[in-house]
Amino acid sequence: MKLKRVAVIVLAGLFVYLSLYTWNLRTGHLDTLAENTGLDAVRLVLKPGRWLADQVAAFWQRYVYLVGLQEKNDQLQAQVDELLMERNSLRERAMSTDRLEKLLAFTPPQAWERVGARVIARRMGPNALLETLVLDKGSLQGVTADQPVVTPQGVLGRVLRAGFTASTVLLLNDANCRIPVLGQKYRSAGVLAGRGPGRELELKYVNLNAPIEPGELLVTSGLAGSFPKGLPVARVLRVERSDLSLFLDITAEPLMDFEALEEVLLLRRTSGESQASPGGD
Amino acid sequence: MLRALWWIGFSAAAIWAQTLLPGVDFLAAGLVFSFQEEGRGRALLLALIFGLLQEGMGSQPFGASVLWYWFLYLLVSLGQYIFQPRSAPFATLLGLTLGLLHFLQTYAMATLAVKAVPLDRVLLESLLQAVVFPLEWLLVDRLYPARMRGHGQPV
Repeated sequence: MKLKRVAVIVLAGLFVYLSLYTWNLRTGHLDTLAENTGLDAVRLVLKPGRWLADQVAAFWQRYVYLVGLQEKNDQLQAQVDELLMERNSLRERAMSTDRLEKLLAFTPPQAWERVGARVIARRMGPNALLETLVLDKGSLQGVTADQPVVTPQGVLGRVLRAGFTASTVLLLNDANCRIPVLGQKYRSAGVLAGRGPGRELELKYVNLNAPIEPGELLVTSGLAGSFPKGLPVARVLRVERSDLSLFLDITAEPLMDFEALEEVLLLRRTSGESQASPGGD
Repeated sequence: MLRALWWIGFSAAAIWAQTLLPGVDFLAAGLVFSFQEEGRGRALLLALIFGLLQEGMGSQPFGASVLWYWFLYLLVSLGQYIFQPRSAPFATLLGLTLGLLHFLQTYAMATLAVKAVPLDRVLLESLLQAVVFPLEWLLVDRLYPARMRGHGQPV
């Protein structure tokens, strides 16, 4: 191959790449194209396999794995009784809170609804820079970018991109994920940041004199505008004072095992209440 | 028809493989094989489809796959003038270069997008890419149906 031809290939490639990159930065058309073709094609390939795996697992659990079922049933029944009592007590407190808020003329918090989704894949491909999950729901089911994703244990992350029938979720433990939180007990504010897979989380920007203690639950503050207020996110592990920083050195642990997730819940604002409100942003 | 079915089957298997080994490109070996066996035209069509798939399932700013497959084209085009192109040693050399390229490109793209990147993880992915590529290329070469060979315009 002549040197001239190599130079032409290199220059032409660079020109095409830079043109596509800058045009996409301005318009976002290529990102949308990739989301609505590549991501959906991946779902098309993975979904039948996942369905088959689910059927096999269900068969196993239904017909083979019956050992200790009665014992487990009794335990769960006892747990249900306890939870019912706790629910009744909490319902009473919630009703009194509603009455007090009405009395003080608080703006009611915005309502959110939950939509279930199944995890069909994790980080995949050479471009998988961030810690992500792929869900089997997309824009056709009302999923949009930045939508909160939770599990019954607490916050999991937010939607990074949404194709027609599949979407990608940025996980809480990714080093690029940030969520404003409050301590549930002492209400000290900070920003929870990931440190990468298998590592603990870091709570940043908490003042040296702020009250916070190990074991305290961290909940969403609602200040970022994308999460409802009060969702559990992580638990404080260690609180250390640094001589070099104006802030406390706080380590937290997530409330769930990110590797074991199979189903998640997507939160979205209920229709007709599109305006952000102070209590529920 | 058989060719289309073969490549659809290959793509599906590669996507499943990518879920098992995150960070590794299982489509690249097929693309190089297509370039060598079927010629530029068909390889370009595959590169467009594979590029969209990788961009869709990835989490980098758009363009990483364009750069990645363009480098691959350059490497194969240049390599065939120096080495025996359809041989295990050339595939191994390509695998090693792709491994190095994965590390450099991921680091560069993350820096450009102001994103934090765990370098130890990217290093492991690069090593896996270097090992997987030649093995997969050999597998594709072995499994590619004999009746489809010789119908394209090999480069």
